[in-house]
Amino acid sequence: MALVPFRYNLRSLFVRSSSTLLTVCAIGATVAVLAGMLSLQQGFATLFQERGRDDLAVFLRRGATSEGESGLTREQCDILAKEVPEVELDAQGQPLASAELFLAVRLRKVDGGETNVSIRGVQPATFAIHGDDVRLRDGRRLAPGSDELIVGEGLVGRIANCGVGDVLRINTVTFRIVGVFEGKGGYRSEIWGDLDRLAVALQRPVRSRVLAKVPAGTDLAALEARYTDDLRVQPKVQTERDYLASQTQRLSTTFSILGGFLAVVMGIAAVFTGTNSMLAAIGARMHEIGILKAIGYGPVAIFAAFLGEAVLLGLGGGLFGCLLVLPFQGAETGTMNQTFSEVTFAFRTTPVVLAWSIGFAAALGLVGGLWPALRAARMTPVQALRRG
Amino acid sequence: MAAAIAIHSVTKTYHRGGESLRVLDDLELQMEAGTFYALMGPSGSGKTTLLNLVGGLDHADAGRVVVGDTDLTSLDGSELARWRAAHVGFVFQGFNLLPVLTARENVELPLLLAPLSKAQRREQAERALALVGLGDRMDHKPRELSGGQEQRVAIARAIATDPQVILADEPTGDLDRTTADAVLDLLQRLNRELNKTILMVTHDPQAAGFADQVIHLDKGKLGRIDRNERPAGARRV
Repeated sequence: MALVPFRYNLRSLFVRSSSTLLTVCAIGATVAVLAGMLSLQQGFATLFQERGRDDLAVFLRRGATSEGESGLTREQCDILAKEVPEVELDAQGQPLASAELFLAVRLRKVDGGETNVSIRGVQPATFAIHGDDVRLRDGRRLAPGSDELIVGEGLVGRIANCGVGDVLRINTVTFRIVGVFEGKGGYRSEIWGDLDRLAVALQRPVRSRVLAKVPAGTDLAALEARYTDDLRVQPKVQTERDYLASQTQRLSTTFSILGGFLAVVMGIAAVFTGTNSMLAAIGARMHEIGILKAIGYGPVAIFAAFLGEAVLLGLGGGLFGCLLVLPFQGAETGTMNQTFSEVTFAFRTTPVVLAWSIGFAAALGLVGGLWPALRAARMTPVQALRRG
Repeated sequence: MAAAIAIHSVTKTYHRGGESLRVLDDLELQMEAGTFYALMGPSGSGKTTLLNLVGGLDHADAGRVVVGDTDLTSLDGSELARWRAAHVGFVFQGFNLLPVLTARENVELPLLLAPLSKAQRREQAERALALVGLGDRMDHKPRELSGGQEQRVAIARAIATDPQVILADEPTGDLDRTTADAVLDLLQRLNRELNKTILMVTHDPQAAGFADQVIHLDKGKLGRIDRNERPAGARRV
């Protein structure tokens, strides 16, 4: 079956440039909202997933869904660090495991107001466990047993008193910032200090989790099962990757749902705009449709031509929407995560986001063009020639 | 001579706003192949309706329309579209061309429906444009052409697929006398040199003078048929 030449529809879009531009803008705005929300969702999801490792095991209290809910005693932490055979040892024969304390505290933001910031009490083994994933950018590493802190680079410039040399008061204890570290994911939005000193300052006798290096592929379910009936400790064990994925799922889903909802509402409006634009185009080109039909182009060819034109409009809008969003690529923003702590993450307009956005735009064009194209196709040649 | 177009007891009624208007009333007419016909009559006499039926653009309510070997009344919409593409060329009064396409692209439109290679399409389009004297205007868009040139492009498009029948609806209605005569000369040449059967609706007696026969319709019925003499050169009434 012969189709109406593509250049006819393409050039027609340029000829009625005002109408084309308005429709492209309407679809573009809708696509920009969707792409923006998806970029936020991608930024938030990859914030944690990127950093998650399969060779790190996270031990929480059984039943806890996050570090904030978890609680392990010092003795329980020792059992997990020293008795679990899967935990790897360092060169000195010490287990590569560290107990950690995790809490959110209210701190002042640089631009006013307060927000929750994650504080993590760590042990010397923490740095060995993370290896190159956590690197010091400025200053030096905190000394064990001291009232010293290092801050994640994501907090610098966002939270007051977070520069090297600054003093930060947590409850009644005064800490000094001695370094800024860079790291992947959520750690870059945390403040780290000595576990025991922070436990005192925060008046928290229990630890939140044990982080341990294990061989990748370790059967953690079997490990967990071994402790099911152990009266001393009954941990919940996950790989770090699984743990972080579970932490971001809820907010990530919220971003997707919110983005989807906004896109659907705006999409409906954009579909009407597209339909209106195509109806106007068909109305203005009725005689041309009549000529095409008289020449011998059948209903399917006419339908495909005008539907294709509507999809082209949609794709133009999609491209425009993506161009609106792309300048924000990499821009950082902050939000509360599931542990109600401030985390910073980048706006990530990934190829997947672009593909979804363009696909969505094409779908808007398709839906918007369906009825006008059907109308043009069903018209008899005489009707088209007369109305023209 | 064999009948190129045969109209048997054709009736066509239009319904508008609860009123019925019988435009063609039991019309009986035979047209011979290779003849140039002008179709005349007052407004509402059924000229354009008859042209549309012969061109397969519309269906008769009753009766049969046979063009060549094909009974058009037995074809559905898609079959009519395919038949039109292969057997008939149209020239309308105005706005005949797609304004976003060049002259060559407009002429290629019907050729896209034929099983031809790109090179063959191009060659046939250029030949048709050369035949109507527009070999040097192939890449011009309609807005860059005069009214007469536009009509000649439309004629080139109508003959591009080499159909036996050319239907023209007031082809000179928007043109000045000189330009109109040039277009009519061209149609006459196509009839004489290429033996095309031409059916042309016109209100203009001078335009009708270029035809071999003038069919007069009145209130949907056949009035009379005038035969013009056929001297060697172009004729005027």
